Amino acid sequence: MMTGLGATVARAGRRLLSSLPALFGVLVFTFLLMRVLPGDPAVFFASGPNAGKEEIEQIRKQMGLDKSVPEQLVFYLSDIGRGNLGRSMMTGQPVLKDLRERLPASLELTFTALLIALIAAVPLGVVAALKPGSLVDHGVRLFCALGVCVPTFVSGLLLIYVFYYLLGLAPDPTGRIDVFTSLPPQRTGFLSIDFLLAGDIEGWWAACKQLILPALSMALFVIAPLARITRASMLVSLGSDFVRTARSVGLSWQKVVVTYALRNAILPVITIAGIVFSTMLGANVLVEKVFSWPGVASYALDALLSSDYAPVQGFVLLMAGIFVLVNLVVDICYGIADPRVSIG
Amino acid sequence: MRFVSFRSASSVLATTALLLIATAPSQAQTRAETLRYVTGASVNTLDPNIPGSTRESFALSMSTYDRLVAFGRKQLNGKWVFDLDKITGELAESYDVSPDGLKLTFRLRKDAKFQDGSPVTAEDVKWSLDRCVTAPILGKAQLLTGSLTSADQFKVIDPLTIEVTLPKPDKLALPNLATVYPLIINSKVAKEHATPEDPWATAWLKEHTAGSGAYVIESFKPGEQVIIKRNEDWNRGSPNKPAFFKRVIVQSVPEPATRANLVERGDADLVVDLQASDVQSLEAKGKLKVISTPQYNSITFVSMNNQIPPFDNVNVRRAVAFALPYEDMFKAALFGRGAPLFGANWPDGKPLNGIYPFQAPVKTDLDKAREYLKAAGLPEGFSTTFSFNVGQASTAEPMAALVKESLAKIGIKVDIQKLPDAQMSTQINEKKLPLFTEGIVAWLPSTDYFYRNFYTGNQRWNYSSINNPELATIAQEARFEPDKAKYEEDGRKLNAIHFSEMPQIPLWQPNQDAVMAASIEGYTYEFHRQVDYRDVSRK
Repeated sequence: MMTGLGATVARAGRRLLSSLPALFGVLVFTFLLMRVLPGDPAVFFASGPNAGKEEIEQIRKQMGLDKSVPEQLVFYLSDIGRGNLGRSMMTGQPVLKDLRERLPASLELTFTALLIALIAAVPLGVVAALKPGSLVDHGVRLFCALGVCVPTFVSGLLLIYVFYYLLGLAPDPTGRIDVFTSLPPQRTGFLSIDFLLAGDIEGWWAACKQLILPALSMALFVIAPLARITRASMLVSLGSDFVRTARSVGLSWQKVVVTYALRNAILPVITIAGIVFSTMLGANVLVEKVFSWPGVASYALDALLSSDYAPVQGFVLLMAGIFVLVNLVVDICYGIADPRVSIG
Repeated sequence: MRFVSFRSASSVLATTALLLIATAPSQAQTRAETLRYVTGASVNTLDPNIPGSTRESFALSMSTYDRLVAFGRKQLNGKWVFDLDKITGELAESYDVSPDGLKLTFRLRKDAKFQDGSPVTAEDVKWSLDRCVTAPILGKAQLLTGSLTSADQFKVIDPLTIEVTLPKPDKLALPNLATVYPLIINSKVAKEHATPEDPWATAWLKEHTAGSGAYVIESFKPGEQVIIKRNEDWNRGSPNKPAFFKRVIVQSVPEPATRANLVERGDADLVVDLQASDVQSLEAKGKLKVISTPQYNSITFVSMNNQIPPFDNVNVRRAVAFALPYEDMFKAALFGRGAPLFGANWPDGKPLNGIYPFQAPVKTDLDKAREYLKAAGLPEGFSTTFSFNVGQASTAEPMAALVKESLAKIGIKVDIQKLPDAQMSTQINEKKLPLFTEGIVAWLPSTDYFYRNFYTGNQRWNYSSINNPELATIAQEARFEPDKAKYEEDGRKLNAIHFSEMPQIPLWQPNQDAVMAASIEGYTYEFHRQVDYRDVSRK
């Protein structure tokens, strides 16, 4: 057992090291890309009444744009080395602080959405696989198609319209917590956990109520790929020799489906879940906008529109880092789901 | 025993009842005494002087800081708007303008205190005004328009008197001191946070306030929300009374439909940046108060670059002016919510008055447009692009489609370009766009100010890049013209030049649609086009 764990850790470490060059590449590429894009942030931010040439020059200097691009790159890299991601013009705050405040919001939302999606998708996929071609199978297919067809902001607006505007069941869709509720002391940054740690059940429920609608509209969108992949790989594993053997020796239905078939079918689902997670984190922007969720994706979009370089670069770096981590976690999950797997 | 138990029971009852009475209304009161204002933008600095600060930051600073003077308000068609001609004291108890117009003397209120309790002195005022004209901040360029350029112009006479000296009698000097930037800072506090590289404490003041304003910052989350609470000692609005609301929550809600839902459901109290379509439907439902004020210090226009062919030819510009589908654009873009600047009738072909913005005698007349094109030597038309920025897409997109359709009828082929905001500003600054739509605003809307800033010089705000020496000369002279009749005459001349040269085509002044709960009162359209939280109260 120890050796198994040791091997996993060693593999994770190797993986992490080998991803460093890729991260560096992302860093430089984003840096250059932002500077190639048309649009001068200094001119944009000097948009106040009467802001003239002098103001533009001043902002340029403030953002370090008065230097040549290679020089800027060297400064940028040395800043990154010291853990400084620069300052956002848009919020006026250091990018690191902004990201640190906003990332938990995005993570909480994405985890919840992924959890809802998995809880819904895996049983749906299994049920569909057990009776392929049946009415249930078609029902699941229809549900999945609808989920994918409706863009997240449409489902988000619809959910708001029904549950907030018409029924008045949901709280107003403005961020993570009602403006009149006081916040718990920040420990994890995940409001639902922080409230529990502070023993404030009322606050916890308030935070959860805010979370349900956005998480649901995101989950709806990703149920489809998860359910489809579960169905496909369940079909393969249900038709395989070991399931036939298990059935023939008279094992219980539950044992056959859950222990043997599902455990073998879950590998591709984990892969897809990993990819879906990373994509959701960045592609959340519409849900974040609709629900005024103070997450990283809407932050990055606003920054991109105003050519605010530092936040965009910081965001891409963060996403790349998370992608590496998620891949790592997926690898480790593989090892747990199927001990034979060893990816060097 | 029985007596005792009865007493304890009744006292429990009484206490419970008292508690109920005490808690229930006080909670309701807290909500009633709180203003929740939602907006698509956000506050990004507590000092509006920082380059890049947003309009919401301007509005917030009006409540957290005082200035020497403030604009009064007047009724315009039954709606309250700011009054440029009525300047009242804010931190100044009174002020005098010397007969030659070169000296402004301000006497400070004796009871004025900063939020930390220390008195407001002439030293603080001088430091703050010095900062505004010396530090590399936005106030510098603004105060320049009122001939305020150097720290030598501000002189402390005694602890409660300050004198401002002008090189020329400038009408805009006094109004400039009522704008957003020349806020009065507690200089003792600010100096404690100044560094040798940053002698004016700009970095510290970005995140902190040190003022005497009506509200104190309670929490500030850039990009999300700001909560301010009332400064009980503030009495600059009305004597012996602080601002109405105990707390104001300024919250960013990026999605306009959500903002409309919030205010309709009564969860938000006030919003000024809804989409025209939402405003219309909310107004029709009649539950909310909708106050629509044409933004009379702003203009939306279609501009042509007067230096780029074929728009360097005045007849081409006139052709475009008579080919635009004004009425359709007005309906499609704004749902008719605004004041049109087209379709005027000038009986003798001369401007009706000397006020800018003016309503021009242009209307859709394709035959006339074709004639102008012929006169320009381009009877077959030409190809060009029409640009607008993403931020304005909700109004500019329908407009662009109509422009394209209508100009095609006289042979001008238009390619629509939708540009990200930063890219659009850059191209405007580099004067690369031939035909585009934009909006301008002037805090101090006087005729000469508009003409000097938006129609002269090779600078960014001269959108049309017009270079007309006569216009420039008259506008410069008008600036210091003390005689009202002569000033009016100058204005007429400028408007006449504008119409005959047609450097750009003013379209309309969009409405500021303030949508609020029925209980909100006192909303005033302010020069910064945001809500001044000190104006509003609840019935």
